[in-house]
Amino acid sequence: MPRKVNHGLDYDEDYDAYDDYDDYDYDYGADGNDYENDNGMQGDGNSSQQGTKVSRPRIWQCSICTYDNDESSLSCEICGIIRDCSANFDNNDKDKAIDMSKSSEASIMGKSNLTQVPSAPLQTEITSVGFPSKKASKSFGKASRDVEDATKSLASNLDHLKLNNNTMNSKKAPSRTPYKSEKWMFQDQEQGILSQLNLAIVGHVDSGKSTLSGRLLYLLGRISKREMHKYEKGAKEMGKGSFAYAWAMDESYEERERGITMTVAVAYFDSKKYRIVLLDSPGHKDFVPNMISGATQADAAVLVVDASVGSFEAGMDGNGVGQTREHAQLIRSFGVEQIIVAVNKMDMVGYSKERFNFIKLQLSSFLRSRGFKDSSVTWIPISAMENQNLVEAASDVRFSGWYQGLCLLDAIDSLQPPLRDFSKPLILPICDVIKSQSMGQVAACGKLETGAIRHGSKVLVMPSGDLATVRSIERDSSTCSVARAGDNVAVSLQGIDSGLVMPGGVLCHPDFPVRVATRLELKILVLDNAAPILIGSQVEFHIHHAKEAARVVKILSLLDQKTGQVSRMAPRILKAKQSAVIEVALDGAVCVEEYSKCRALGRAFLRSSGSTIAVGVVTRVPEPDL
Amino acid sequence: MKLVRRDLVPNGPGSVKVVPEEDDDMWHAYNLICEGDSVQAVTVRKVLKEKASGGRDAERVKLKLEIKVESVDYDKEGSVLRIRGKNILENEHVKIGQFHTLQIEPHRPFVLRKDVWDSMARDVLQQACDPSASADLAVILMQEGLAHLFLIGKSITATRSRIETSIPRKHGPAIAGYESALKKFFENVLQALLKHIDFKVVRCVVIASPGFTKDQFRDYLLLEAERRQLRSIIENKSHLILAHSTSGYKHSLKEVLDAPSVMTLIKDTKAAQEVRALKDFFNMLSNDTARACYGPKHVEVAHERMAVQTLLITDSLFKNSDISTRQKYIKLVESVKDSGGAVHIFSSMHVSGEQLAQLTGIAAILRFPLPDLEDIEM
Repeated sequence: MPRKVNHGLDYDEDYDAYDDYDDYDYDYGADGNDYENDNGMQGDGNSSQQGTKVSRPRIWQCSICTYDNDESSLSCEICGIIRDCSANFDNNDKDKAIDMSKSSEASIMGKSNLTQVPSAPLQTEITSVGFPSKKASKSFGKASRDVEDATKSLASNLDHLKLNNNTMNSKKAPSRTPYKSEKWMFQDQEQGILSQLNLAIVGHVDSGKSTLSGRLLYLLGRISKREMHKYEKGAKEMGKGSFAYAWAMDESYEERERGITMTVAVAYFDSKKYRIVLLDSPGHKDFVPNMISGATQADAAVLVVDASVGSFEAGMDGNGVGQTREHAQLIRSFGVEQIIVAVNKMDMVGYSKERFNFIKLQLSSFLRSRGFKDSSVTWIPISAMENQNLVEAASDVRFSGWYQGLCLLDAIDSLQPPLRDFSKPLILPICDVIKSQSMGQVAACGKLETGAIRHGSKVLVMPSGDLATVRSIERDSSTCSVARAGDNVAVSLQGIDSGLVMPGGVLCHPDFPVRVATRLELKILVLDNAAPILIGSQVEFHIHHAKEAARVVKILSLLDQKTGQVSRMAPRILKAKQSAVIEVALDGAVCVEEYSKCRALGRAFLRSSGSTIAVGVVTRVPEPDL
Repeated sequence: MKLVRRDLVPNGPGSVKVVPEEDDDMWHAYNLICEGDSVQAVTVRKVLKEKASGGRDAERVKLKLEIKVESVDYDKEGSVLRIRGKNILENEHVKIGQFHTLQIEPHRPFVLRKDVWDSMARDVLQQACDPSASADLAVILMQEGLAHLFLIGKSITATRSRIETSIPRKHGPAIAGYESALKKFFENVLQALLKHIDFKVVRCVVIASPGFTKDQFRDYLLLEAERRQLRSIIENKSHLILAHSTSGYKHSLKEVLDAPSVMTLIKDTKAAQEVRALKDFFNMLSNDTARACYGPKHVEVAHERMAVQTLLITDSLFKNSDISTRQKYIKLVESVKDSGGAVHIFSSMHVSGEQLAQLTGIAAILRFPLPDLEDIEM
């Protein structure tokens, strides 16, 4: 029953939040919000809106059964009596102030008043913007459950606040109160909505990625025959007849003329199990930064390999010419564990089994060395041009003779659904900004990493720090009312200057702003074939969709590969395959979070001279020296 | 810089009269003039005169002043050199001991008097007055949404302009937005080009970018030149060269200078030599770490063991007002030269010099490996 579930959830999360309390320093100026918990709950509510000290979790004694309850629970766990609280909590009542000195600890909260707690707006702000009645009815209509939820959260807020005045949405200070996720944020299990899967298509240049994508879209009916005809005609006119399917993805004149993909193209289609967002990436060496920006949204990847003689070898070339290696490395560094290797252009090698096995052998050892588990790699031979083994089993005799495995679409369906963090506050890294002249409004596109938004939600646009309201949410050219973690959407914003929204920024919850920094501490792994990194080396720093020029300021320590322990302090130089902790200074500010708190905002890549030299995670965001 | 008169004793006192001609010369003058030297030039000073009626009148008077230098200020962006010091020449308007700021301007001669003309200073003077052609190269380093315009001179690289715009991605309906944003970006770059590049001085213009942005820009440039009848571009069409770089950021400039097509143009110039030397250093570092070192302490230790084969040093280290440090480096340079090693003095205004400066400003390639350098604290 939903009631029970939520109950448990709240209990657990607040409890664990308290456990974490004991470990952390209460000065939250330095640390961000603690989103450590795996069960997904947020925020140790720490009050420091005014930088006040947080009190340790306290207990109150139930007057009936004398059980020592945690402060967070408003009703006694044993006997169920609601704690005597004179604060008639009213979501919209913001006038009461609370006195949270330690003296009130054991006492009944009768003497204290409720403050306008920052997290209360979490529940109320959505109401205040659009649907006051709806929300109120929602929270009150479901009778005691919501009442208790709210009271619990308010009570826990009380614990963490000292004297507070109305501090709604102070932009800079993140709220320390626990984040209360709404019921609408969780996915409706009942309705049988397909879950989302973001699939990145990567591989060496000319391996057939865009053609494959175009083919899939056509076969699944997303492109009409007429459109396909148009593409074919146009491609033939340009003398690029074989690129007809790729034109479905490469839409700009430049891309079509040169026959390559330059930026990540996004397309949507449905399979039996998932709603798939296809991210067709460029394979060309020069466009790897674009590929990074696109593939950062991926949950799973399809590595397209060209089976024809010579091309495969070129792709595997270790000296940086081959993109197969670099892409596989990058994909792994994005945290993608599941990968389908599509061996394309099988028609060029006559659907030879030997060739397929040869490629499989070569690549599997490589993928294993990169950290892909054998069980999460699927091998599918296909031919995009001939439409073999894509959505149905192969028809060509030579092929079906020896291959009885899954076709590509089935392989995609066999992927495990990724875990989504619905219950954390909103984080949406902005991939793209579309300015529509008609209404002077801005739309930010990207994939929601955590949390959820809906029509009317207030969001904070970082790095500028301005508030905006969600006007509409669009997914695959159709409006939807709610977007949850994992969805790739275009969010149309109101109330903000279009110059302030830019790719590389982040949309986040007003009370839980993402940090912006220019100096970062990273734990990196230097890749093979990388030039040595010295203090003062200038690199390009990529993180989610942002990129900046950066300089290595300090090399703090060298880490041992196997144990991860510090083996040497302050080495002079970092060579290939070494792992170290370094500090970088960026030319411009970017939105980051430590990797432990938010994975999507904590992964970083360092590039220099056209190749990726190091991959890493953000371990610490030092406070700026003011 | 034109040398008018030279009257000095090596490692002894002397004076020179020079006429600076271009931006590079400001930089050379900055390297030459140190605290304690005296500079004589014609300058303008605001003088207060008492009028007959008793009121004060401020008048700008042109006069010849000689000042004892106390501080030198070089403005990188504007290529302006300002020297502040006390007056030591008898003058009707300015008392001895009064402070004055001299501005060194192109095409105006000045006399520099030094107590000690050491080898460094003599080198700089010689380079400055060398009439051989300078690198005069303009480089437009771009990527989608970001462009830098550099003017590479003999010893300085000046960033003339930096253009940054946000260009939206292009899928579906937004394609029109992409095209127009790109066009606007190119237009801005074109304007910067017209403003800062003087085709009479600049020998050639290099357009570099990853991907195809350079081709797109070149096509745009030529098209617009035709349409708007921009004579300077149309005449100099043949001077446009395309090169590949890996990004639009400033540090990619060294890759551009390394490209064969560009290298042929600048191969005799200082800039090219610097780039090559630095590349050698990095190669050595990646191949055999113990044969390369950087940082003053490590280089000193290496030098004591007579291990230095090539010394790379930036001229900013010499600009220390502390005489003893300056002496120390000069001695280091001389002794490396004596022991048969090569010395490359990098101009810190060039990209490679900036990069070296990031690595503490001094580095060396060694004759034989010295693994125990690792243990010495930097």
